[in-house]
Amino acid sequence: MAPIPWTEKYRPKSLSEVVGNEEAKKKFVAWLNAFLKGKAKKKAALLYGPPGSGKTSLVNAVAHQFGWELIELNASDFRSREAIRNRVLSAATMGSLYGKRKIILLDEVDGINLKEDAGGLQAILELIEKSRYPVVLTANDPWDPKLRPLRDAVEMIEFKKLRKYEVIRVLQNICRKEGLECSRSVLSAIADNAKGDLRAAINDLQTLAMGKKRIDLADLNVLGDRADQESMFDIVRTVLTARRPEQALAVLRIPSLDYEMLLLWLSENIPYQYQGSYQAIADAYEALSWADIMLARMKRKQIWQLLPYALELMTAGVASARGKPPFRFVKYRFPEKLRLLARSKSKRERFLQVAREVASRLHVSLRTLKLDVIPFLRVIYEHDEEMAEKIYRSMGLTKREFEALIG
Amino acid sequence: MSTELWVEKYRPKTLDEIIDQEEIVARLKEFVKTKSMPHLLFAGPPGTGKTTAALALAHDLYGENWRENTLELNASDERGIDVIRRRIKEYARTIPIGDVPFKLVILDEADNMTSDAQQALRRTMELYSRNTRFILIANYLSKIIEPIQSRCAVFRFQPLPKEAVKARLKWIAEQEGVEVDEEALDAIWDESQGDMRRAINILQSAAAISKKVTVDTVYEALGKVRPREVREMLEVALKGDIIGAREKLRVLMYQYGLSGVDVIKLLHREVLSSRSPLRLNGLPLADLLVLIGDANYKIVEGADDEIQLMAVISKIALMASEAKKSE
Repeated sequence: MAPIPWTEKYRPKSLSEVVGNEEAKKKFVAWLNAFLKGKAKKKAALLYGPPGSGKTSLVNAVAHQFGWELIELNASDFRSREAIRNRVLSAATMGSLYGKRKIILLDEVDGINLKEDAGGLQAILELIEKSRYPVVLTANDPWDPKLRPLRDAVEMIEFKKLRKYEVIRVLQNICRKEGLECSRSVLSAIADNAKGDLRAAINDLQTLAMGKKRIDLADLNVLGDRADQESMFDIVRTVLTARRPEQALAVLRIPSLDYEMLLLWLSENIPYQYQGSYQAIADAYEALSWADIMLARMKRKQIWQLLPYALELMTAGVASARGKPPFRFVKYRFPEKLRLLARSKSKRERFLQVAREVASRLHVSLRTLKLDVIPFLRVIYEHDEEMAEKIYRSMGLTKREFEALIG
Repeated sequence: MSTELWVEKYRPKTLDEIIDQEEIVARLKEFVKTKSMPHLLFAGPPGTGKTTAALALAHDLYGENWRENTLELNASDERGIDVIRRRIKEYARTIPIGDVPFKLVILDEADNMTSDAQQALRRTMELYSRNTRFILIANYLSKIIEPIQSRCAVFRFQPLPKEAVKARLKWIAEQEGVEVDEEALDAIWDESQGDMRRAINILQSAAAISKKVTVDTVYEALGKVRPREVREMLEVALKGDIIGAREKLRVLMYQYGLSGVDVIKLLHREVLSSRSPLRLNGLPLADLLVLIGDANYKIVEGADDEIQLMAVISKIALMASEAKKSE
């Protein structure tokens, strides 16, 4: 079983557990109070700011603390006019059975695709207009032109990146609850690396803690030595857990992106991240196989215009796989292929050297030798060493060469 | 020295030793008698004696000097048409040794060349036709471009008849002091049809297991010959364990040294075998053929064999899960 992501396990359950962004919290609570008294100027709030700054967590915490029902629609749901009407509008306009209050959360509204989510924006405005309960929207970038009609209808509340000490405090807390021994300098390094993104920091902590009760400076050295690999973890995670293709495309803005390495990393980790959904794995590999073909054509024929297609296929193409399973925490692996190739390099060279000679002696191609001769030689060697010896001696091979041949 | 691998040991050395393909052999003997011949194109299924006939013809034309007058190339192994042209050019520069006015180029698996490469080959054939004759060998005549076909005398090799194969196997067994019963010979025939190379290889590996070859030894040998990992890889993939299937794939590629196309060929055989787990799991044959054919194309176009094959494996797992649902 996959472990529960710590980002879910330790989501704050009350306002006081939400770390940082004190000003935004105050503003949000004040707006909620005004709303409940029917005195709010705006019927909805837009929480905006960088990833991992606590926007969604704050809404969750409020709902949990006051026992409100959370009605949520996020980016992975289809947000056409119909989807919003069917799934949210009725809930927002009807009372609930036991008089329980509700709060409506539309996560990542900047992810609305105006072409595909037809009428989505109009439907959101209609929802704000008619809702009896507070409506909360979140976004990374509220200045996106397409959100202009929304901005007038909402209370804008800004979230900032978390400070380093705030991140460390959360990590310390988690360590204590997990019974994990972890020095402050280790946590400090993790926090530095996360650059104010608490979600990323918690994910990194969970990665380092895999199968361990104690993280110390030695582990950090490994982390330091593998700085590239660490950032590759992040890139792979961004692509494979993207909720919309644009999020995956964002990794292409990294100036030093090693896309050939990324191809191998994705190929290695797709089955782990999408385990359980054959559709998602097949779709992701289909996109990856086309990325590989585009790269090969580009290099073979020097058609550099093909590069964007290859890059988009391996990011947005993979991320748009159908039927992706719900997010789960995965410890990503180094591409095993590279390790295996490095380990067997000299062996393969020895094999090819002997195989070429034998193929020409037997007047067959390498492929025929590999598929239609060597398998028989293996059986012969297994059962009748004397016959095998006669064969390899007659071909001028030593025992070692013969063994290199049959593997 | 001849090798102790029976296919090679009992390969006919001269045209006289070839017992089948009588009409073809008769015409080849005419070329030897007149010491003149056109370019030749041998087409036919594997194991029907194409390479053997070409080598025997070389032997009969040049006697002991045949190696000096014969250049053997395999189109699948040479890296591109440029390499082939350079090797032919170097070789054709020198005049033939002996009284035959031309040298031989035997180009095996010529149908594996792209049509562009075949066009280039055609020009090369014309360029050196004064003192060189080509014998092109192919499984499929239709894969050889027409301008080449029209420049060659075409010989079609038929699958060997059952009685001829069985007689040859019996004779080899006698030479080797191995007992083989009639039932075993029938089993070998079933598994090899008219492919003599495969038939002899099965016989020798069965003889390695026991000097008394019976049906059981034949099937024991066959069971071991198939790269187990291919079938296991498919079985694991069909169960939905894509990571497990990848481990098997990696054994085939990085331990046994198979290329992506090699693995595709093995998958193709699996698809065609009625006892394959693919078919037993109810995956439609036509869908499988489209899948493998498409993968073959992509693997030639692409760069990373493992990614291309993982795309195939993940699709097989998807097809299997859908087949289960619709049951």
